[in-house]
Amino acid sequence: MATSTYTTPPAANPHPRLRPGRYGIAVAITAVVVIALVISSLLNYVYLDTIPGRTSLYGLLAVALVSLGTYIGVRAFTRDRAIRRKQLIRAGVLLGLGTLLWLLVIDIFVFTQAAGPGVAAISALACIPTTAFGLFVVRRMDRNEKEPWRLVLVAAAWGAIVATSLVIWGETIWDQVAQQTLVPGPGLDASTAFSAGLLEELAKGLAVVLLFLVMRNDFDDVVDGIVYGAAVGMGFNFLESIAYMTNLYAIFSPDGLGWYAAGFQWYGRQVLGLFFGHATYTAFIGAGLGIARQLPKKRQKAFAIVSGFLVAIAGHFSWDAWVQFFPIDNTLFGLVEMHLRTLIMTGPFTAAVIALLIFGIRYEAMGLVDQFKKEAATGAGAILPEDVPILASPWRRLRQRLRAFRRGGLRAYLEVARLQTGQLDLAMERWHRERQEIETPLEAEDALRQRVIQLRHWVPAA
Amino acid sequence: MSSAPYDQVQVLYRTLLVFATVAVVILAVGLVEFVYFEPPGQATGVKARIVGIYKYDPSTGTTLGSDRSAFTRTQDFAAVVDWSGLPPDLNVDARWYDAFGSIVGRVGPSTPAKLGNSTTVAIITPQGLHHNLPGDYTFVVERLQGGLPVEVLARRIVLVES
Repeated sequence: MATSTYTTPPAANPHPRLRPGRYGIAVAITAVVVIALVISSLLNYVYLDTIPGRTSLYGLLAVALVSLGTYIGVRAFTRDRAIRRKQLIRAGVLLGLGTLLWLLVIDIFVFTQAAGPGVAAISALACIPTTAFGLFVVRRMDRNEKEPWRLVLVAAAWGAIVATSLVIWGETIWDQVAQQTLVPGPGLDASTAFSAGLLEELAKGLAVVLLFLVMRNDFDDVVDGIVYGAAVGMGFNFLESIAYMTNLYAIFSPDGLGWYAAGFQWYGRQVLGLFFGHATYTAFIGAGLGIARQLPKKRQKAFAIVSGFLVAIAGHFSWDAWVQFFPIDNTLFGLVEMHLRTLIMTGPFTAAVIALLIFGIRYEAMGLVDQFKKEAATGAGAILPEDVPILASPWRRLRQRLRAFRRGGLRAYLEVARLQTGQLDLAMERWHRERQEIETPLEAEDALRQRVIQLRHWVPAA
Repeated sequence: MSSAPYDQVQVLYRTLLVFATVAVVILAVGLVEFVYFEPPGQATGVKARIVGIYKYDPSTGTTLGSDRSAFTRTQDFAAVVDWSGLPPDLNVDARWYDAFGSIVGRVGPSTPAKLGNSTTVAIITPQGLHHNLPGDYTFVVERLQGGLPVEVLARRIVLVES
C-alpha cells in the first residue's frame, strides 16, 4: 500500500505550491542569524587577541555545521523512509562535527582561559543531570501529546549554542557604551538589565519563532509553545551556568573560595533557578506563539506574539535590574533569603506561565476528547468508541501500555505506545482542521488515519 | 463531554494581554528608574582632571611609578585627582567601582575647595578577600545633586588582570 512508506501527514501533500510563506520568513530569519554570527566572529577576530580570535572562527564553523545539521535532521522527518535514513546520517555527522568543534572552542578559549579545563569539565558534568532533568519534566508537562525529543533537544541546543553566540557582541557593545557614558549606579544597572532582557530574550525567542514557522505540525498550541520556550531557556541556562561557575571559580580561587563560589552558582542556577529563570522567561515567548497559532485574525496573532516577548523581556529585566534591592546576608540566614528572593521576584512570572500551561492543557484535552468521539463515530476504525475514555486519560493510556507490556513485553508496550501516539496525532489533526488552522490537505489526514488503522492491526488486543 | 468552546483561545489571548500590560508597566518603571538616576539636561560642561592611576603603597599612603591602565590582583593602586580646575562650590565626589559595580574606594562628597588635599583615591580590597577581584575597575569624579550623582566629570577605566 502506498501510504505505508509515509511517516507523517505532510508527505501526503501532493502540491508543493501550497508551501506557505512562513518558510520564506524562516529562511530570512536564519540568514539574519548567520550574518550576525559572521559579524560577531569577525569582530572577535579583529578586536580580541590571537587565541580568542582563532577560536571564534572555529566557533563560527561549529555554528554553521550545527545549523545545517539541524536543518537537514529536522526536515528528514518529513521525507519518506528511504531518503530519511540518508538525511539523518548526514545530519548526525554534521551535528557531531559541529559539537566537537564547539566543545573545542569552549574548552580552549572560554573556560580553559578562565579556570582550566578540569574545572570546566566538572562544571559541565554538574550541569548535565540537572538540565536533563529539567528538559524531562518540561516535556512531560505536555500530558496529551508529547513533543518529539529531537525538537526539544534542538530547542535546548539553540539556547545553549546559537543564542549565547548571538548575544555576546550585542551585550558587549551595549555595556561598553554604557560604561563610558552613564553615571555608575542604579541607572547603569537598569541599562545593563535592559540590554540583557532585550538581547537575550530576542536571541532565545528566535529559536521558538523558527520552530513555529518551520515545524508547524509539531507546534500545536500554547502548551507546545511553553515546552519549546522552556527548553530553549534551559539550554541557555546550561551554558550560562558553566560560564558563571568557571568564571567565579577563577575569581575566588586565589582566596581559597573557588569551589564554594562555583557551587553556589550551580545551586542558584541549576537547582533554584532551573525552572524559575530563563526557562520561565522564554516559555512566555513560546506561549505567545502558541496562542497566536490558534487565533483567527492576523492582528490578534501579532499582538499575542509581541505580548509573549514583552512579558519575557520584562521578567528578565526585573530580575537583573532589581535583584540588588534584595541583598543576601553573608550568614546562614542568607540561604533562606536567597530562596525567598527567587520566589518573590521570579515566582509570579513562573506562576503566570504555569496558569497558562494548565489552562492550555485542559483546553487541548477538551478539544482532543471531542475529536476522539467524532472520529469514533465515523466508524473508520482508527479510533473505536471504547478507546475514547482510555485516550482521554494519560493514566489510562499508561495502564493500557503496561497491560501490553505484561502480555507481550517491551515490543508490545512500544507498539501500543505507537498506536496511541498515532490516534492522538489524528485527533490533533482533526482538531486543527475543524478550527481551520491547518494548511496540509485532507489527504494528509487520510494517510494518518490509514497508518493508525495499520498500527491497530499490528497491535495485539490490549 | 461537550465539545471544546472556541472562545477558550480568546480567554488565553486576553490573559496574555493582561500579563503583557503588567510587563509594559514593569518596563515603564524601569525606564523611570533609569531617567531618575540619569536625569537628562545635567551636562554642565565642567571637566575634572584625573592626573593618573598609579601603584599605591598603603603603608605610606603614597603613589609609585608611572600612570598605568592595568594591574595584577595583588597590586594596590590609586587614582590621583586634580581638584583645582573645578568650580569651588560644586558638590562632588570621586569613587572606584569594581567589575561587579560595588564601590571599592571613595572620597567626598564635598566641594573641590574642601577636597583640595584629598587628591589620592585608593581602592580597598573587599573584606574577607586577600586579593582584588579581577575585571574592569571604573574611577569617576561625579557631580552630585540632592545627594545623588548626576554627572560624570571625569572617568578612567583600568583592568585588573585575572
